[in-house]
Amino acid sequence: MIHPSVIEVKNISKVYAGVAAVDAVSFTVEPGDIVGFVGLNGAGKSTTINMLLGFLKPTQGEVHLFGEQVTLPNAAKGHQKIGFATGDMALFEGMTGKQYLKFVARSYKKSTATTTYENLVARFEPQLDKKINELSRGNKQKIALIAAFMCDPELVILDEPSSGLDPLMQQHFLDLVREESQKGTTIFMSSHYLNEVIDVCSRILLIKNGKLVKNIKASELQIGAGKLVRVITKVQVSPPKTAELVELEKQADGYVLQFLYKDKAIRLQEWLGTLPNLQDVTISDHTAEAAFEDLYDVQEVKNV
Amino acid sequence: MFNLLRKTLRERRFFILGWSLGLGFLGFAMTTFFTSFSGGQIDELLSSLPPALQGLVGNLQDWKQLPGYIGSQVFDIRLPIFASILSILLAVGLTVGEEDKGQLRTLVALPISRRKIIMAKWLTIVIICLVATLGTIVGIELGILVIGETLDQMVLVRLGLFTWLLITSLATLIFAIGSATGKRGLTTGIGIIVAIGSFLLTTFAQSVRWLKDYEWLSFLHYFPAADIAKGTVEWGNVIFYLVLIAISLIIAFIFFPRRDIKAA
Repeated sequence: MIHPSVIEVKNISKVYAGVAAVDAVSFTVEPGDIVGFVGLNGAGKSTTINMLLGFLKPTQGEVHLFGEQVTLPNAAKGHQKIGFATGDMALFEGMTGKQYLKFVARSYKKSTATTTYENLVARFEPQLDKKINELSRGNKQKIALIAAFMCDPELVILDEPSSGLDPLMQQHFLDLVREESQKGTTIFMSSHYLNEVIDVCSRILLIKNGKLVKNIKASELQIGAGKLVRVITKVQVSPPKTAELVELEKQADGYVLQFLYKDKAIRLQEWLGTLPNLQDVTISDHTAEAAFEDLYDVQEVKNV
Repeated sequence: MFNLLRKTLRERRFFILGWSLGLGFLGFAMTTFFTSFSGGQIDELLSSLPPALQGLVGNLQDWKQLPGYIGSQVFDIRLPIFASILSILLAVGLTVGEEDKGQLRTLVALPISRRKIIMAKWLTIVIICLVATLGTIVGIELGILVIGETLDQMVLVRLGLFTWLLITSLATLIFAIGSATGKRGLTTGIGIIVAIGSFLLTTFAQSVRWLKDYEWLSFLHYFPAADIAKGTVEWGNVIFYLVLIAISLIIAFIFFPRRDIKAA
């Protein structure tokens, strides 16, 4: 039996007043994938997520979750298997955290008397007895995350989930995502924090101006990050053939050559051995953010 | 659905308490004023008013008997005004109010169908309108006790049921517009136009001749409280409100599940 993709997005667009917030986006998410959905503010991440969950009707195209087409009236059927949280989730403010989580559990026809719930509470240590409108943003966020994971969903959709969390809680959240991944839960998360995405995601989707510009494995982005090499020589030299973003500058103590290197390390070692009068070498990581910026300049790329 | 109904009612417990007490106080206070109006001096004062102004205060004969007074002075003018405010606040709060705060999106993200959301919220309206009406009735009963009068309980039962129907139908109409469109300005605007327009039409139609031709457009035209107090119940009026509720609900059930939900 062939299992359907958990998420299958076919050529969806959302147009507001003639402007496409999302433009012909297609991708699939397979069971157990952890997909990072990355883009700048206004790129179309939240609009896409809103269409996945059936909050918004695509102007064109289709969304399928677990093999079933999502339409606005029937979206709730699929939600039984889905947990959802956003970084600015509007929780029901008159309730305490405990009441809210009980309400959510009952909506899934489940209870909060489960090990999953207890473990999540132990992990995030939320203030459950205070009214939600008295909580800080971070504490509200903890409750939203517990609600998203506590009913053992098959798919968790998260929109900027860790914004508002302190670094320690952010780490707890990433640990939770890794553990859920090992249990086979599929996770689709948008984030501004590229390191967070690279850290936990198996695949990354980049969206720019409503268009999907890259659909790659996270490891490709890490390889894409490469090394930033800076050499100082007495005489002018040529960079390796595979070098990118080459800059050459003449300074008082010699020629400074800087480039991005993504090829094998042994070849770089060989090239360094050929340099006459080598004064200094610095090799540093080309950051994920820089790699992201490089990728973000790429125009629309056909989906993998 | 009952999980959602319980949650929605719980969130509005202070709204329910406040309105029930407020309308109860209105009923109590207006009833205790009866002894001041039922004397002969008020007749002289009112009969000295120009006919156009007499229309604004109702039928003078209604003031002399408690059922007529309750019908014309509590249920015919004042209660519908306050009840309309209650209807607008309640229906706008349950629809566009929650949507503007982003709470509707949180709700729709749960495995609760949009039709069940509509049903639970509408039942909230029905229950709150009932409790507010009961609050008014209790206030009136207390007022009657204080002034030492007696009143046939069926008068209050009839007026209470009609009031419940009136508030529920107005709230359901506004609720349907809010659910179907998600637009705060439109929803509130129509609610206010219906409430104020009905009040002005019904009140001034007795004094302004040309308005009489349009009085049937008033929401209050179908709630002749003074007649209901005297025991005359036009079933056509009951059917009007029931049909309005049914049409409004159908609109909500058709459009709400098919429209986009705003993020906060």
